[in-house]
Parts: sequence; C-alpha cells; structure tokens
Amino acid sequence: MNAAEIYKLSRLAIFWLSVTFGAVWVACWGVGVFIPSLITGKMPFLLQVDNPSTTVVFIADLLRSLTPILSLLVFIPINAMFMVLFERRSLALFTVRMGPNRHGFDGLAQTAADAVKLLFKEDITPRGADAFMFTLAPIIFFAPSIFGALPLLAAVTNNHDLFKVANLPTGIFYILAAASIPVVALVMAGWASNNKYSLVGGLRSAAQAISYEIPLVLSLVTMCLLAGTLDVVEIVEQQKGGILNWNILGGGALSGYDKLAPYWLNLVDTSFDTSAMFGQFYPVPWLSSIMAFVLVICTVLLFGLYLTGACAEINRIPFDLPEAESELVSGYNTEYSGIKFAIFFLAEFTNLFVVSSIATVMFLGGGDNPIPKWILDRLPLEPISNALGSLLSPLIKDLMFIDPATFWAAFWVIVKVYSIVFFAILVRGTLPRFRIDQLMDFGWKRLIPLALILFVVVVFARTWVVCHG
Amino acid sequence: MAEEKEKSIEKIVEAPPEIGRFGQFLKEHGIASEKLPDAAGGIEVISLDAKNLQSALKILRSSEETKLDLLITVSGVDSRQSGGTFDSVYHLWSYDNLNELVIKVKIKADEVEEDSLPAVPSITNMWPAANWHERETYDLVGIKYLGHPYPRRILNPWDWDGHPLRHDYVQIVDALNDKNPHSFR
Amino acid sequence: MSTEIKSTELKTDEMIINMGPQHPATHGVLRMLLTLDGEFVKHAEPVIGHLHRAQEWQGQNRTWFQYQALIDRVDYLSGMFTSWAMARSCEVLDECEVPERAEYLRVMVSEMNRISSHLLWLGTYLIDLGAMFGFPFYPFREREKLLDLFEEIAGQRMMFNYIRIGGVQRAPNDAWLKRLKAFTEEFEDRVDEYEAIVTENPIFLKRTKEIGILPLSLAKQYGVTGPSIRASGTDMDLRKTKPYSVYPKLEFDVHWLDKPEGGDTWDRYILRIREMRESNKIIKQCLDMLPTEGELSGKKQNAGLRVKAGEAFSSVESPRGILGCYVISDGKDKAIRFRWRNPSFCNLSVLSELLVGSPIADIMAIFGSVDVILPDVDR
Repeated sequence: MNAAEIYKLSRLAIFWLSVTFGAVWVACWGVGVFIPSLITGKMPFLLQVDNPSTTVVFIADLLRSLTPILSLLVFIPINAMFMVLFERRSLALFTVRMGPNRHGFDGLAQTAADAVKLLFKEDITPRGADAFMFTLAPIIFFAPSIFGALPLLAAVTNNHDLFKVANLPTGIFYILAAASIPVVALVMAGWASNNKYSLVGGLRSAAQAISYEIPLVLSLVTMCLLAGTLDVVEIVEQQKGGILNWNILGGGALSGYDKLAPYWLNLVDTSFDTSAMFGQFYPVPWLSSIMAFVLVICTVLLFGLYLTGACAEINRIPFDLPEAESELVSGYNTEYSGIKFAIFFLAEFTNLFVVSSIATVMFLGGGDNPIPKWILDRLPLEPISNALGSLLSPLIKDLMFIDPATFWAAFWVIVKVYSIVFFAILVRGTLPRFRIDQLMDFGWKRLIPLALILFVVVVFARTWVVCHG
Repeated sequence: MAEEKEKSIEKIVEAPPEIGRFGQFLKEHGIASEKLPDAAGGIEVISLDAKNLQSALKILRSSEETKLDLLITVSGVDSRQSGGTFDSVYHLWSYDNLNELVIKVKIKADEVEEDSLPAVPSITNMWPAANWHERETYDLVGIKYLGHPYPRRILNPWDWDGHPLRHDYVQIVDALNDKNPHSFR
Repeated sequence: MSTEIKSTELKTDEMIINMGPQHPATHGVLRMLLTLDGEFVKHAEPVIGHLHRAQEWQGQNRTWFQYQALIDRVDYLSGMFTSWAMARSCEVLDECEVPERAEYLRVMVSEMNRISSHLLWLGTYLIDLGAMFGFPFYPFREREKLLDLFEEIAGQRMMFNYIRIGGVQRAPNDAWLKRLKAFTEEFEDRVDEYEAIVTENPIFLKRTKEIGILPLSLAKQYGVTGPSIRASGTDMDLRKTKPYSVYPKLEFDVHWLDKPEGGDTWDRYILRIREMRESNKIIKQCLDMLPTEGELSGKKQNAGLRVKAGEAFSSVESPRGILGCYVISDGKDKAIRFRWRNPSFCNLSVLSELLVGSPIADIMAIFGSVDVILPDVDR
C-alpha cells in the first residue's frame, strides 16, 4: 500500500541501529579490549610487553570492569533518540501522515535536534514546588533502568566475559525490583510539582503499578518455575537451539520434538530408536503430549500477560493513565521542562527497551537463533562463515574487534527487542485509553485470576513433561 | 434624513388592531397582551407586562394546545431610539409542533432610574436554558433579571465597565489595560 | 457499654480543579471549574467567554456587506451554516427570492460542511478518548479532500463567505463537480472503514456506553438541539420539521433514537456517523438535480447592500443543532441588532448537569460527545 514510506522507515531503522550499536560496540571494544590489551601488551601484532607492572594491570582491570556501565551510558541516550524517531515515523505510517522528515537526511536528525533543544531550554521549578524532590524525581525515575539493564547485559551478549558484571543467582528478581522503583519517582514528581493534575497523575501511577505488577511478576515467576532457576543467563542458556526450545513455546516442553524431529523427518540415520528418547522427554506418551500442548498454550498466554503488565508498568497506551493527555494535561510531568523533562522522556523509552529485553530473555530465547539447529546444520552456511571469517580475520583475530558469538547474539536480541517495541507502537497507534476504574477492573478481576490459574496449570502440567528446569 | 428615520420608525411601531392566535389564547386565560407587528414570515409577536411574564410562559409551555417548550433565545434589544424602551425578547418554539411565538417585555427607558438597570423577572426557574441567555443579556445589553441565581457577566470579564450592545456605549478605558482602576490585572 | 456505632466513613477533602482554559482537550478555550471528590466530579461549572470577539457588536457596527464576511468565524467548523442562517434571516426580511440554482448549491456545500464538521468531531473525539494516534487521523484524510473542494469554490478552506444574502458567491465548474462526485462515491466506504475500527471496539464501547446519559426532559429544559437531542428521543431536525430551501425535494432520513430515558455518548456518536451517510446521499442528489444554468444571486453584492426594515428570526439545522439568527433592521446600512442563537451555547449549558458524578476520565468523553465549538459559544 505505502511501499515508499515503509522503505523509508526501514532505511531509518537500519541507519540508526547501526549508529547506536556501532557506537556501543566501538566504545566497549575500545575501553574493554583495546586499551587494556594495549597497555598490558597483549595486543597480537602491536608491541608486546612481557611483564606489565601491577599498576598497569590494575588500570586495565579497572577499564574492563567499567565497560558494562559505559556501554549502557553510551547506548541509552542514542537508543532513546532512535526509538523516539522510530515511534514517530511508525505512527505516521499507521496514520497516513508524513512524520518528521526535515532535519537531517529524511528526518534522521530530528530527535537529535529535539534533544539539543530540550537541553538548552530553561529549567523551570514552579512556585511552591518542593525543589529538592522535584529535582530528585527524574533521577530516581531514570537510574533504575540502568540498574535493571546491567544483569541483562550478560544474558543478551551470550555471556561475554566483559559483561559478567552481576550474574546474580536471583537475577530476574533483582531486575523486577529495580523496575518497580520508578513508580516512587512518579509519585514524588506528582507530589513535588505542586500541581493538581500532576498529583492525580502520580497517584494514578502508584495505583496502576501496584495492580499490574502482580500479573507481571506472576507471569515471570511461572516462567522461572518452568526454568527451575532465577538466573537470567542460565535461562538464556537453556533456551538455546532454535525456536522450539524457547520459553514462549512451553518452556522446553517441545525440546523432545526438537531433538527427535530430524529422525522423524529422515534427515539422519533412521535406524536410531526414537522411542527411548521420546520416553525420556515424555514419560506418559499421550498424556505428556497433551500436557506439552497445554504448556504451550499457557506460556503463550503468559507472554501476552507479561506484555500487558509491562505496558501498564511503563505507562503506555492503552494504560497511559498517569499521563492521560485529554484528562490530566500531561500527568506527573506537566510541570517539567528542559533537561528534567528530557530525562523523564529518556527514561520512559529506556524502560520500554528494558521490558522488551526482559521479554526477549525470558520468553524469546535471548540471543538465540530462531532456526532449529538441525535445519541450520543442513544449510550451506559453513562456506559463507568461513569466507567471512577469513575476510574479517584482521578484525576478529588481530584487533579482537569482532567476537562472532557475541555479534550474532546481539544481532538476534536487537531483532527481537525491536519487534516487541514495534508491537508496542502498533498498539499505541490503534487503541484508545482505558478509564481508571476499568483499568483496575481489568487488572484485578481478569489478569490476576488468569495469572494464578496459569500458574497452577503450569505446576501440574510440567510434572508430566520434562521441561528445561 | 430625519424624515426617513421617522418614516421607518413608524413602520415598525404601527400595530394592526386584530388579536393573534396566542394573544387570544392568553386572553382566554386571563392574561392581557398587546399585539405587535408580525415578524417577517408571519410569526406572531406579542408584548407582555413584566409582571405577567412568568404566568404567561408557564401556561404557554404546559398547555397541550400551545406546548411552547423550546426556549430558543432570550435576547435584549436596546430600542431606545425607536420606541424608548429596553426589550427583553423571548423566542419560543415547540419541540413537537410548529408553533412559534415571540414575546417582548418592554421596559420604558424613562422609568428606569439613573444608575440602575431595567429589570425583568428571570425565568431561570422555569427554563434552566434561560440561565446563560439572561446572563448574556445582562452582560451585553444591561437588563437585570430579578431572581436570577447567578447574575454575573458571562462573556465579558467580570470587571468590564458598561454594556457593549447599548447604542450609547463608549469604551472609556480599555478594560484589558492596567490603567483601568477597576482591574486587578 | 455503649452499643452505638459511630460512622467510620472516611472524610476526605474536596479538590477544586481548573480544567482549562489551557488544557489540551477542551477544544479551544473552555474553562471548567470542577469540584472533585477523589476522581469523581461533585460540581462542574463551565466558565466561558475566553474567545469572545463581540460578534454581535460587530453586527450593529458594520454594514451588512461587511458583516456577512465576518460571520463564518462564529462557528469556524461550519461556516456555511452561520452564513446561511444570516442570509436566510435577511432574505425573509427583505422578501427577496433566492434562485433555485443557488439553493441547490447552498444545500450541497452545507452538507459537505456538515460532513467535514462531523469528521473533525470524530477525530478529536477519539483523541479525547485517548486514542492519541492511529485512528483519529483517518477522518482528517477525507476532511482534507472536502477542504480542498471548499478552497476551490469559495477561495477559503474554513472562512468561506460563500453563501451571501440573496444567493451564493459563485458557481462550480465541471471539474469541481466531478471531484465532488468521486468523493461522494468513495465516502460511503470510508465511513464503513471508520465504523469497522471504532463502533464495536471493546475499549471504545467501555468508554462510551452508559455514560453521559441525557434524559429527554432535561435536554428539553436546557434547549438542547441537534444530534445530541435526537439521541435522546425526538426527531427534531429542521430540515424535516420546518423544511427550508430545497430540502423538501430531496430524499433523506432523519436518524433518531427512541430513548426518552436518555441517550448515552455512544448514541450521539452513532447518530453523527449516520448523519454523515445521509449528508452524502443529499449531496449525491443535489449533484444530479443541480440546474446547470441560472442566476446565482437575487441581490446585488456590493457595499450598498441594504435590508428592509423589520425584524426576523431564521434558523438552519447546523451540525450541532439549531443555529438561529435574529435580525432587527431599520433599513439603513447597519442592523439595529444582530442576535445569534448558537447551538453550542445551549448545548454547553447542560454540561454542568451531565458531568456530576462522573470520573475525571469521562469528562472529556461526555464533553466531546455533545460536540461543542468554543467560538460558537463565545462568539
């Protein structure tokens, strides 16, 4: 229908994604690999130092340990810029408009210009506002998104050494705890603004977050139950090997089919006795098959539940009541301007990114290739990867610039995360807003019972099927 | 020029003697009215005394025969130049039939005391719709409605001086200007 | 021991909020003084006048010819109707014949204007409901086409000054008529498209059903007219009940709902959608019946325009209700009194009753469904 606009949107997305992730990649490589290797003399073809002094080693270690946080600090602002532009252009596409297309080539620099404008705007503190709280609120709103994103880094980079900063055994709970702090900031902002609209917005966000955190957490708890662990890195490890292993399809209930499919499809030695292996995964054949099917339905529903709860958690349409424009002007951020508003804006999009990343890690297999391994093995990819490897060997081996495992993991994470982001934008472009009482009804009377029922069903169903955990 | 003016005024004031349908109806119910020249399109116009307004409207609205239950407007007209009166004009329609009636309550300008406004009884108790219309007439033409629940200006700012739709209105000081002594701005 | 149980009801303070005049959803500059108990409205008072431009004062201080160019601004979304109301009053007073061709053109452009006004209402109403992006822009796509047509025939996209005392300004050419015909042919599908997205949308139904119920008796007391009262159980539409112009020759239905207990906001929505379809039908018929030759105006359009002495009140059925114009003339170059009867003014006054007891979120849903244009209120 609108091929030209779709082409422009994809061009924009590819350009900005390359910029965003290129910058992060270069920064991480520079600080985490290049400089430490250089000063400790470990760079393959540059000057070699045999025994670096302890000071130099210490500096190198320090730089390495700073890499994760640096990557986030580089990534978040550029990414938010891209996401804002992406959202505006996508909405324009859905709504038969043009969207921002003037600044830079085809509007590529629009949000950069907006950001500059916001930074130079006067920072107004309204009369009668609690100045300290007023300033603190955006900071508290923004900071947890960084805390929350840190443990995810290792999960999305194929457990890369540099990013093993906080592989907590309670990883997902830590992330959820961090993700629930911003609500405090919204109430603070609403209260400190000395504005009735802000106050109502702040209180609404508190009520909403409390109601929707329960289904959100319950859905993740159920997934952890299937996985048998809380560690996000381990959850990603379990899901490796293609789409049939992902948590969204039964949390490993289909792993057996994944393993047996090549035999059934006569792709490999047919003399292999599959029944023993089948029995290993599905102890009571017919009941287990039904239960596997039930598990798949449950996890798909849980995924929907998670997305709904996450939408409410980060105040997006149809749950954007705390900043409902037609009712509360702009809710808690009505009185904010300049850099404080910019931080709110930044944090909102970062939160969207973080919840999408959690969804990717918990449900969509993290950085895993969606194509099952047995199909991948039969594709003629080896020559291509060999050719690429030899072509890029200076970058891979000498400069240690590219680590193929991490690269592909990052690539798939980007694809998955931005698919979820795009879905959120699509929802925003389609649905009207709930009313506050309907929102509460929906949360408490529909989502929470559903989450509990799914929890119980999963507990029973997984006893008949061998899942990841 | 002066002759012309008189001629046109005569044309407006000249009243035909016969009584109209609604005038007859009111007469049957013991309310005296005066017939005025029809409005264009043959719509009956009657004039009522201020004291009869409430009772006449009540009966015109509730009677099955007339059922004038749609208050179209309450307008104020400064006709001091043509008839020496302030008119409060009520356009009445019906939701269910085609009846139309214009009622005028004329207040003689001579009888209005210095520094006070011509007064007409409010009909807000019968028609909530009249509330805003009467406020607007008070605001723009300067007719006071006795018994109005909230007799304030509606379109102009509360500290505005004068009533702009009177023909002798002169805006002395710009009310939006700081120099206006009554303004708090 | 006393067995008396004290009331443990929690006592909370009421909050007074000024909604507007600078609020993104008040369709201009309405200020609503709300007394809130929690999220619920206990008392609502619309405060108007922020957009007062002394249109009636202009009427008695400008010549007839000057003033007829100004009145499109009274209701900027349906300028054709304000022009028409004034023109009708003056024509009745002046006993001037309007050529048939001009009448057809008037009906045609007015119905186009009704569609464009309802389209804008539809878009903004969905924005009021929180569908910030997405659907609201689709009605604007069609409205844009109508505005282009208006621009070509009247020289202006909103302040048309097309309908004049005695007739219309100019005749359309064939290309214009062809474009209008193309529009009418595709418009029905477009309305189907809107209905497919909106009418049965569960969130939309949840937000609009059973709120803002306007009982018939209350509506009559407040003099509510237009689609808002037709949703509450009368079939009052001036085009049928007191037919004017060439409407008797045209075939169309007046949609109304037999709901004396009161129509809700969804009823008002669906009536406007149906009205758009009817208007489209009327335009199609006008296109077929429009005389190709003939006078355009029964009166000379120049600065010497005069209207005979006397008084007249005439009205038209605008998208928002009965739009009337009360003129008193003494035959001179200026009127003695111009008085507008604006549908929005009357429809807005009922809001203080409609809003009581509804949550903040419903304020805009109810306010939007009554379809009020602030310049029309404040003049």
